[in-house]
Amino acid sequence: MVHLSSALLRRYHGGLVIIRLALGGCTNRPFYRIVAAFNKRARDSKYIEQLGTYDPLPNIYNEKLVSFNYDRIKYWIGCGAHTTKPVAKLLGLAGFFPLHPMTVTAAERLRKLAAQKEQEASGSGTEEGQGKEEQRQEA
Amino acid sequence: MRICGGDDDIATVQFSDEKVQDILIRITGMDLQKIFRPVKEELKPPTYKLMTDQQLGEARQKAIEEAKLKLKMPPVLPERKPINDILSQDKFLAGMETAKYVFTDITFQTPHRERFVVVREPDGTLRKASWEERERMIQVYFPKPGRKLTPSPIFQEGNLKVVYQQDRHEDLLDLCIAQFEPDSSEYHKVHRLAYEDIDKRAKYELLRSSRHFGSLVWHLVMVRRVDGLLVDMLQRELINEAVSLVTLFHMVHPRSESAKEAGRLEAKGVELLKVYASTESQRGGYIELALQAHQQMLQENAL
Repeated sequence: MVHLSSALLRRYHGGLVIIRLALGGCTNRPFYRIVAAFNKRARDSKYIEQLGTYDPLPNIYNEKLVSFNYDRIKYWIGCGAHTTKPVAKLLGLAGFFPLHPMTVTAAERLRKLAAQKEQEASGSGTEEGQGKEEQRQEA
Repeated sequence: MRICGGDDDIATVQFSDEKVQDILIRITGMDLQKIFRPVKEELKPPTYKLMTDQQLGEARQKAIEEAKLKLKMPPVLPERKPINDILSQDKFLAGMETAKYVFTDITFQTPHRERFVVVREPDGTLRKASWEERERMIQVYFPKPGRKLTPSPIFQEGNLKVVYQQDRHEDLLDLCIAQFEPDSSEYHKVHRLAYEDIDKRAKYELLRSSRHFGSLVWHLVMVRRVDGLLVDMLQRELINEAVSLVTLFHMVHPRSESAKEAGRLEAKGVELLKVYASTESQRGGYIELALQAHQQMLQENAL
């Protein structure tokens, strides 16, 4: 078995650097580190550099804490790194990237759902109201 | 700092001017016994050194240098204005989240004052974080020793009174400097209450050889309640320091009556005190009595 050193491995694979979320934490308590790593590496294994953190559970002030090392993120993007969707969405919410189109789409879908539910509620409400009136008229 | 008199221009003289700092350093005094009093640390057996007189003098010089470092005054800055900057308003994002997102920039080299801390509210607005949120986030990612995330309950009103009764103003002010930024409203409030309590009970000796004395004197001069401190200095026979105090008062309030009188008479030294006692102060009689007593003592000593 030929064991290549890591530099040769990268060259052989044509490795890509990705900025992604690496999961940590405990059971029922996730915690993500925003990390620049090679594409083929396991999600939580050796990364090149940690660029920030993301805590998905809100704290006592109802805040979700996210930290970014903008300086190093700019460097890695300059080196040709790509971001994954969740990282791109977070950066869009932060104002560093423009807003991700899926964030906008998800917001629109939510609003459509909410509008539909309202219509159903008001529609069923009027039907019930009409039904009760008829019952009273009959009785 | 609020001032009632409207006819003086205070903006021309600042806390950080060289002349003001010189006067304040002179007034603070340098009681080495008090500065280097034993602080509660681990018990170590004392070390004894055999020194010649010259070496003792050098050691004393070193102690004075260290004491000057310990007596460095914390800055007196005006209160900071709240941050109300909105970066973008995206109403269509409303309803997506139930919690705010707080984004902090953790670049190591940026100074904390210039760090970006930005909040995305659940209704879609992207705004700069307020001062409290900023301090909390910076303490989370760059913890400063001695500072807690939520300020300790000692800074609540009731507990402050207990501290004042125990005469531990200096420790309280040290805690306050570690916990709050010098231009925050809590810092100003705690300091103002401590100084007013000291002034009410005339316990200037508590802060005398510490780094808080300069700010105490500056606060009293700005609020024009220098009489208690003057009386205390005269009782302890610190005439030079009393004179410097009155010169500082004239520097900060150049259009007050006593400053004009002194300028007209070109008074120096003890005469300045007499001018101040006659024109501006409320306890002028006491000051004059103390001055007379001091001069009698001088004559007796000369005899």
